[in-house]
Amino acid sequence: MPLDRKLAIVDLTSGDIEIKAIPLGIRKKFLGGRGLNAYLLLNYTPDDVDPYDPDNVVLLAGGILCGTLASATGRCDVMTKSPLTGLLSSGNMGGFFTPELAHAGFHHILVKGKAEYPVYIFCHNGEVDIRDARDIWGLPVSDTQWAIRQDLGDEEVKSAVIGPAGENQVAYANVMTGIKNSAGRCGAGAVMGSKNLKAVAARGTMDIKIAYPEEALEFNKRFIDQITSAKVNQTMGTLGTPFIWGATNSWGGIRTRNFQYNQTEYADDIEPEHLDEIAEETCGEYHMTACYGCQVHCRAKYRIPDGPYKEVYDEGPEYTSQGAFCGETDTPNAITLLTANHLVDKYGVDNLEIGSIISWAMELNELGILPADKLDGVDLRFGNDEAVIEMIDRICFRQGWLGDTLAKGGIQASDIIGKNSFDYLIQVKGMSNLHSDERATPALALNCALASRGSDHLRSRPAIDLYHLPEPVLRKIYSSPIPYDGPLSSEHTEYIGKPYQVFWHENCYMAVDCLGICKYHTTFLGATLPNFEDWSKVLYYNTGLDMTPEEIWDVARRANMVERMYQLREGLKRDDLRKGDMLNHRYFDEPTRRGAPDVVGRVIDKEKFVKMIDEFYEYKGLDKEGNVKPETLKELDLEKEPSHLL
Amino acid sequence: MVEERDKLSTAESLRSTRTYGKFRCHNPTCMGRLEPKPGDKEIECPICGMRFRVAWVKKGFPRIRGPVWEHNRKIAEEALKKKGVE
Repeated sequence: MPLDRKLAIVDLTSGDIEIKAIPLGIRKKFLGGRGLNAYLLLNYTPDDVDPYDPDNVVLLAGGILCGTLASATGRCDVMTKSPLTGLLSSGNMGGFFTPELAHAGFHHILVKGKAEYPVYIFCHNGEVDIRDARDIWGLPVSDTQWAIRQDLGDEEVKSAVIGPAGENQVAYANVMTGIKNSAGRCGAGAVMGSKNLKAVAARGTMDIKIAYPEEALEFNKRFIDQITSAKVNQTMGTLGTPFIWGATNSWGGIRTRNFQYNQTEYADDIEPEHLDEIAEETCGEYHMTACYGCQVHCRAKYRIPDGPYKEVYDEGPEYTSQGAFCGETDTPNAITLLTANHLVDKYGVDNLEIGSIISWAMELNELGILPADKLDGVDLRFGNDEAVIEMIDRICFRQGWLGDTLAKGGIQASDIIGKNSFDYLIQVKGMSNLHSDERATPALALNCALASRGSDHLRSRPAIDLYHLPEPVLRKIYSSPIPYDGPLSSEHTEYIGKPYQVFWHENCYMAVDCLGICKYHTTFLGATLPNFEDWSKVLYYNTGLDMTPEEIWDVARRANMVERMYQLREGLKRDDLRKGDMLNHRYFDEPTRRGAPDVVGRVIDKEKFVKMIDEFYEYKGLDKEGNVKPETLKELDLEKEPSHLL
Repeated sequence: MVEERDKLSTAESLRSTRTYGKFRCHNPTCMGRLEPKPGDKEIECPICGMRFRVAWVKKGFPRIRGPVWEHNRKIAEEALKKKGVE
């Protein structure tokens, strides 16, 4: 049964390994994946621990549906305390690692301590070993995975690994699997590096017994039909996520030159149709591929057609790479995009974070805040493709003053650079904003400010707000599974009704992260994709766990609240520009200048924005300061946390 | 709960609201429905005047590839001037 999958606790200092069953009571409260990881993080890390202290833990987990007959359950949630933000580090990646881990008998791996020398952890059919990785240390991401397969003599081994960026403790280094799947943004790879942990590998042949296999298969047909019939997924299966960047750039929702403009003009070279042509020319007609059990196929295969890395194979690029290496840096060239995308995959570093920090440094250079004598000879101008490529290398290997400084992350780098450099850092809670520009979309701006792990689009963004859906359609979506009769607006330039949308999506995305399903299979980019009602059935047929849609909603609320409790414990304060729920001043002060006529000249109205935060806090059960109300703790059965029940 | 196996979920019931062969103008408060003819490579919004390049995901499934840059830039500059933003 999926419910039989275990938690392994690995202490790298002592070498002790403890394998624990996950009690049903805990499952019902948190399901698995991100929710249960949040519970474990809160319970297993001391207050205010340094992210690189051996007492910090790293958690890797599949969702409760991982490895079952449900679609797209290959997600892996990676959680720790972030060296980038000093707060929650939470990343979620696709691929094939966690299904293999589930077949090896495990859903959750908790790693603490620090090994004396580089090691990797191997999970196989109910057992866990710690193995020597000294010969593997230093290898790039993909080579590491093949070296582990060679070491174990089994080509079917799957692993979650770090690359050189993690070893060098770049504050936004990723944990990765496959060619490009990344648990990114917050530096979990650097924490693994600090523990001398190169990888967690898995190989399993244990059965996963499905509770009601016939019904599970039958219902999954409906589920798949829902997923594949959605127009957004048909587009994604053809063009990948770059179509999102293209569509958003078209009307002026893309930040450019750090945050100076909101559209990258004449970006034809990196439009999704052109990238698709390159993928087809270099990898053939069937160049789209997918993660475990997924029907969307959103990932392109490609070879770099020209330049110093000509012919090199990689996958993607995602829309985040377009934003990071083309829009923000104003270098909209396909070769730059495909090359930079390859380098971040090779070194194991977050594309979005590194692109953002390079573009920030470019603006500081333009303004004279970062003087020429600090650039180590790099011509750090907007529009300089070579500088983008060069800086990726320098940051990942911490070369020179600038590479080393930027490797520490935006806030630490701004402390070192000084002057008013922090004012130009587009971040929330220490994490860079996505490449999108939300000055014309208050709901999306609110999501950036409130996302649990820092500015982020994958924790609560109501992306369907951009579709101008009629009010009755919005009403149907947002009134399930919990009734909602408050205001809603189809206008995405409006403020009304948006806090509830952000609150609903926060719970939707947490639920999907606990189940272990990909966000492209829920109400993220498509209004007709499955959510709570559908999951209730999928969960029951696959695991036998009989939970109503409302109960799954409660799990999501509870897990989100645990993340909030962790953030508050580690220093989150509502209006703190470094650790709080507030946007950079430029959202309120600098009007947009490009894009559609109804987009130009927009800023976020700060007074209305603050009211939106107040309203969101009320829905969530927080007080005016953003702290958890005692009655909320009681309602969500969290009064005794940390409870140390597992 | 699960005995209601055949009942459509909210998300499934919304399928009937899908439109095919059309997309919306990218101007946020316009959002006019645009319906390019098969094979069209450009389309202009009759309401706000923005012009877009059209790509076809497959037959009968158009999408906006991007703006007609010069045309839409002029509209944006005029709008910016009208709003008094320097």
